Amino acid sequence: MSAVLAILRAAPLTSVQDEGRAGMLRHGISASGPMDREAFALAGQLGGAGNGGIEFTTAGIEIRLSSGQCRVGFAGGNFVVRVNGVVCPWPGSVELAEGDRLAITPGGAGNYGYIRFDSDIAVAPVLGSMATNSRARLGGVDGRSLRVGDVIELKGRGNAAPVAPARPAEPESGPIHVTWGLHADLFPHGVRQRFVETSFVISSRLDRLGVRLDDPEGVFAETAILSLASDAIVPGDIQILGDGTPIVLMRDHQPTGGYPRIATIISADFDRFAQLRPGTSVAFEPVTVEHAHALSRSRQT
Amino acid sequence: MAGSSAPQTLPTPTILPLGDSGLLVRFDTDLSDAANRAAIALTLALDRTPIAGVTEVVPNLVSVLLRYEPGVGSPAAIAGELRLLLYALGDEAPQTTHWTIPIAFDGPDFEAVSAALDMTPSQFVAAHNAGSLRVLATGFAPGFVYCGLHPDELLLPRRTEVRPSVPPGSVLFAAGQTAITATEMPTGWHVIGHTDFANFDPTAEPPTRLRAGDTVTFEATP
Repeated sequence: MSAVLAILRAAPLTSVQDEGRAGMLRHGISASGPMDREAFALAGQLGGAGNGGIEFTTAGIEIRLSSGQCRVGFAGGNFVVRVNGVVCPWPGSVELAEGDRLAITPGGAGNYGYIRFDSDIAVAPVLGSMATNSRARLGGVDGRSLRVGDVIELKGRGNAAPVAPARPAEPESGPIHVTWGLHADLFPHGVRQRFVETSFVISSRLDRLGVRLDDPEGVFAETAILSLASDAIVPGDIQILGDGTPIVLMRDHQPTGGYPRIATIISADFDRFAQLRPGTSVAFEPVTVEHAHALSRSRQT
Repeated sequence: MAGSSAPQTLPTPTILPLGDSGLLVRFDTDLSDAANRAAIALTLALDRTPIAGVTEVVPNLVSVLLRYEPGVGSPAAIAGELRLLLYALGDEAPQTTHWTIPIAFDGPDFEAVSAALDMTPSQFVAAHNAGSLRVLATGFAPGFVYCGLHPDELLLPRRTEVRPSVPPGSVLFAAGQTAITATEMPTGWHVIGHTDFANFDPTAEPPTRLRAGDTVTFEATP
């Protein structure tokens, strides 16, 4: 089975992703991969589990199948999807025939959506993965974002039959759970208290590297921690810049850094955090690592 | 015994959770020679004797990161195995490679750095290239290496301003270290020169050439 799709419309941060380029941190390369892993997996199940997928941002994406046929699954956030002008349910999947157009336009929620197919995205892997790393400019199509005029080939057959979409789960709300960070002990007690009692706001400065938070209460305004030996960073780390700005480091994070980190978003809440739009209020609640693991396990069942 | 060095005790690390899918074995909070040696020794031991459930081992300047799958790997079990390994860890000389790396000392900060250290440019080049340095770690960006530690007379803090972009192969200097970029990046370090030595090739396996623990001498190109 093979097909070719043409990108008719793409916003600046649209990229090819797969599960990520794990194991390369010692070479200075973060793993990348989808900002919302659960949504990426769901789009794959709906489409038929071909390798790879396209991650797009709030503005959506439009493609045309220029040859062949395929099934496409779509999920993540809440977008509006039309096939040849006809609105379809989100998340979901459809069969595309030659000449069909799939147009995804902004919807009510989320920063990231995914389209995946019943065959593999034919992009040469770099260091074992086709995931685009926007920081290292590796993977995907020449290490860059997708743009209008790009042509993507689909080859082979997916790894599983497509599944029917389940009724979408109620979106979760409530605080984002964190474990205390590598440098939590360096922050004064009062700052730690205010960090968990205060709401922050997702700023408009967000991308695959990190999400800057607005700190309207000035929790970190007076924070002055001397420079630290550069140390390992993991996705979800909340680092505080010298001027007091909190930044949550995301999938294309720098592998090491010297700013103090007060907390780390737990794996089970990372996807939900990534989908919070600018202007959304966010509160953090500390939990134990064991509790975080229990939440991870409950999501996998 | 003539010629033998006294056995060194490795610093005792702190084992800390880093999120819910990492354990950080941290030998110091500041960069020190002993902590860096220990991080390299532990990495080599973990490469030789992997711990079940550990999906990735990453040496850093003063620590080693062990990653595991949240909800699958057990940090308590991993920490237990780590303690067994740490107490068996000697300061053995690792199998490493020695590299000679050419530098053209033509960077925009070269003369200012020499002056700040109260040296003439040629004195600075001689002092900079005098000793054999260790690759302390790779980090921050693909193939970006920290080499050190220079003696105290070469200590200089970073610049107060960040240059928005320096090309691959830039030779950087600050905080008792010489670093080499392998990709274009911003930097607050002093740019003292450039090298044709390319440490990163995404088509190669492994994609970087210098490994933490390798030794390096620098050579001025005419």
